Amino acid sequence: MSDLTTLFTITRKDVLQELRSKAVTVATLFFAAVVIVILAFALSEDRDLMTLAAPGVMWVALAFAGVISAAQSYQNELEENAYEQLLLFPIPRASIFLGKLLANWLYMTLLGVVIVPVTALFFNVSLKNLPLLFLVIILGTLGFALIATFYAALTANLRARESLLPVLMFPVVVPVVQRAVFATAEIIGQGDISFILGHLQVLLAFDLVYFVVCTALFHFVTEE
Amino acid sequence: MLLETSHPAIELSGLARRYGREFVLKDINLVVTPSKIVVLKGNNGTGKTTLLKVLSTRLRPSKGSGKVFGCDLVERAHEVRKSVAYLSVSGGSYPSLTAFENLKLAAQLYNLEFTSAELEGKLEGVGLLQARNKLVREFSSGMKKRLGIARVLLSDAELWLLDEPYNALDESGQKLVDELLDTARLDGRTVLMATHDLERVQRFADSVLELCGGTLKRHGVLTQLEDEVVFATQDLPAPLRGEP
Repeated sequence: MSDLTTLFTITRKDVLQELRSKAVTVATLFFAAVVIVILAFALSEDRDLMTLAAPGVMWVALAFAGVISAAQSYQNELEENAYEQLLLFPIPRASIFLGKLLANWLYMTLLGVVIVPVTALFFNVSLKNLPLLFLVIILGTLGFALIATFYAALTANLRARESLLPVLMFPVVVPVVQRAVFATAEIIGQGDISFILGHLQVLLAFDLVYFVVCTALFHFVTEE
Repeated sequence: MLLETSHPAIELSGLARRYGREFVLKDINLVVTPSKIVVLKGNNGTGKTTLLKVLSTRLRPSKGSGKVFGCDLVERAHEVRKSVAYLSVSGGSYPSLTAFENLKLAAQLYNLEFTSAELEGKLEGVGLLQARNKLVREFSSGMKKRLGIARVLLSDAELWLLDEPYNALDESGQKLVDELLDTARLDGRTVLMATHDLERVQRFADSVLELCGGTLKRHGVLTQLEDEVVFATQDLPAPLRGEP
């Protein structure tokens, strides 16, 4: 079995588990809905402010949903000591990390595809340039999922993992979220292609750095 | 296919492991030759599971060194994992997957080709064929353990590390573990097994090691024992011989 096949095997396992339990889907959709609805109510008096806030609301909902998704993916592993067994199979550590990353990224991207039009609807924003917006979601969620998956593994065995995970990961993931928000705002607002491409390049650069660093360091995260 | 090797199955030298400041294993010296079945006994909290986890590469030694079939536990951990199968107390299966899916996943991650019929055969061997499509979440502790045994049998590992294999099993399940040990004997596999049930493993064990306060205190040949309290040697030379 090649490392790539191992990676997909782990992704398939995570996806299958989520399809069975729906734990992440229910929690994240509910959380995203609460964020969008409350902020829509709070800002409903000012139309301009709503347009201005829409990209931030989208990414707040996505970011918190991403944390829940990554934490839950390791929670499933910890039940019955399955994670321990997973680490004892003769497979590269990188395959485990990338397999779980792919599952989290896939989930966050799908969630983004749902959250963006819903936010647009609630905040009365017209969605333009959908391919570019989709690209922002793909690159933004990739950077976020990389850090979330890595730090979720780091905190998986800690008692205070639920509170530590966001505390540890958010400072690191700020540049990705910032660029994703800027790019989304630009697409919704002025639509200046050169600005959008500039943000996308920075996003891509962060994704590449995070990809290399997290994959290389994951081995140490699993050592006890 | 078992390895033809001139290396000891297990070779530990001055191995220690600590959690925080407390040493759970202290200065463990041990050599186990291949194809031996070695029983590890000791009271609760004396480090049996920790020793098995260190040998499985799940935990790193805090001091000293260890090798499995000549491969260092730290430097060549990936190679060690190819030759080791570990049965944990809880079974180590995914609760949201069925018994069949768990076994199929294990086969894929061991890089072994099995047809569905062959995997079903493995499940039948541990008495879980009827429960093949049942989620592990709905399993009893004994059924989870049986699934863990199926995973060990599925692997091609030369060294089996079994942590309390008789735990949670009914009489037929315990006979299953007996068969597992018979299979290991026939195949020439090495087994290191933590158990309290010395009477049960009497006919399988080549040696008994006792962990006491994190150190290997005594050992003996079980078949020569009249009573589990009596061990052949009190003062052990280093390294301890894990064979008669």
